[in-house]
Amino acid sequence: MAAKWISWLDERLGLTTIYRTILDRKVPKVNWFFTLGSATLFLGVLQGLTGIFLTVYYVPHPEQAYDSINYIMTEVSFGWLIRGIHHWGASLLVITVFLHMLRTFFYGAYKYPREITWVTGVFLLLLTLGMGFTGYLLPWNQRAFWATTVATSITETVPFIGPFINTALRGGTELSTLTLVRFFSAHIWILPALVVAIVGIHLYLVVRIGISHVPAKDE
Amino acid sequence: MDQAEKKRYEERYQAEKQRGEKFFPDIIYKDLVVSFALFLVLILLATFVGVSSEPPADPSDTSYIPRPEWYFLFLFELLKYFPGQLEWVGTTVVPVIAILALLLLPFYDRGPLRHWRKRPIAISVMSLAVAGIVALTIMASITTPPQEEFSVVASVTDEIVIGQDLYGLHCVECHGSEGEGGEIVSVEGLEGVVVDPLNAPDFMYTRTDDTIFNVIDYGQQDLGMQPFGKAYGGELQRSDIGAIVTFMRYTWDDRVEIPQEAAAAGAVPTLGPDDIPSYSLHVEPIIRRTCVSCHRPNRENNEYLMQTYDEVMNSGINAPNVIPGDLNSNVIRMILREEIEAGGPMPPTRALKAEWVEIWIRWVEGGAPEFPLESTDTPEPTPAP
Repeated sequence: MAAKWISWLDERLGLTTIYRTILDRKVPKVNWFFTLGSATLFLGVLQGLTGIFLTVYYVPHPEQAYDSINYIMTEVSFGWLIRGIHHWGASLLVITVFLHMLRTFFYGAYKYPREITWVTGVFLLLLTLGMGFTGYLLPWNQRAFWATTVATSITETVPFIGPFINTALRGGTELSTLTLVRFFSAHIWILPALVVAIVGIHLYLVVRIGISHVPAKDE
Repeated sequence: MDQAEKKRYEERYQAEKQRGEKFFPDIIYKDLVVSFALFLVLILLATFVGVSSEPPADPSDTSYIPRPEWYFLFLFELLKYFPGQLEWVGTTVVPVIAILALLLLPFYDRGPLRHWRKRPIAISVMSLAVAGIVALTIMASITTPPQEEFSVVASVTDEIVIGQDLYGLHCVECHGSEGEGGEIVSVEGLEGVVVDPLNAPDFMYTRTDDTIFNVIDYGQQDLGMQPFGKAYGGELQRSDIGAIVTFMRYTWDDRVEIPQEAAAAGAVPTLGPDDIPSYSLHVEPIIRRTCVSCHRPNRENNEYLMQTYDEVMNSGINAPNVIPGDLNSNVIRMILREEIEAGGPMPPTRALKAEWVEIWIRWVEGGAPEFPLESTDTPEPTPAP
């Protein structure tokens, strides 16, 4: 019975083809450093899931943001766990992204034919830092407020367009409700959308070209 | 890489693939092990380390030391090397070069060699960059003092003393210098209102620090208490309110013991039998705790202000209220709770403690000096009540 259902689905969805192209393929024998990519993917997905849970209760407004996070931490069942994972996951993700890049670099895996995989990876590294930067403000506590005040004021020193960047980030001359909602929308919509799109390309290339092998001494 | 090199690479890769393993289950297995380990690490961090709690954002509190997320520390540290006019080099030129160098790496490093021993330049540049980032991060975290310690060190003793002064200035006019409450006498719009005591278990036991904080911050406008927090139009920053709450808790909640140093620092020094009290050592602390709440600008006080020595001696429509050497000075008669032309007993609701009345009398008698005369031995302070 089950076999019949599976073959019915397979006929229509092409499951066997997917299995053969993605799962059942030969790849070079590699070491544990090659798990950094999948670890990054896992942490990214985890950030997405915990982030979605957090938006259920989080209110992006200066008067309520702090209290809403307090509520998550004290009232919501396992809210502390979700927030804790999201908080620490961000740091861990930055580490794995960085190590993943170093692994690729030291094994020369960015060379032919994986140049585009590398370029998309660099964009993902920058986007990860952008996620960290925008997410840092959202708790609207002293730490968040003053770190973001300093960070955004630094952009003012960029020649010519500095003042514009600063105003665009803050939504005015000072940190305000506008800054918070801008960072919030960047953090939960704009940057994640870009991340998902680029991760799609990145993974497509990884499957299409295959993971690199550990270079031998004569290579 | 030319066509021949590309071909050689492809052949090599195909060979490696043939000697290799299956993506599923071999690679997937390793990936799952690592991901699961990381998941476990996260759960442990969330459970046993947690997320440190921070006070809410306070745009008026400019004393806060900004501290970015740890993975941005190296960038901030880097800026220290480009001071003043050169700042834009650190904020723009260096990051842009670094990002472009990373992004375009496969397009300028096109040699066919992959093993690290055959790429000395690339490997050393990247190693130096990583070492630099690590070093800058470490330097930044050493030089930036952690905020938590700051607030902890500044807490209890300092906070109690700061809170005592703030309480003396802002709260005494309605709540009394000992938090005793009673009938409000000379606060515009609140005359005759009776205030419950703060210095009793009924008050202190039933209210948490947060509750007291919120009452001060937002006020209790139905009961006539105005908001004191800046956010609601008052004068106090959040740290000020916190200090007042700490002072109240340590002073009036008998379940909490006030630290020795805090009690000593907040005390009015006692007098030896022959000492002449001075304004700076004895009278000023008493005034600060019992008088200034009303005797400051914009209060009903017959224009008698008491915030400086000069004001104490010379201000007011009945000036002088203090005549050195004359125990018939207005201040002395009012402290002794006489009803005179200049006004009624002071403080209005409750007599000063006997020791403090004595300090006033001996001070006026002794010529009302501003500073200690030739006193060599500093009197031993006693704990505040």
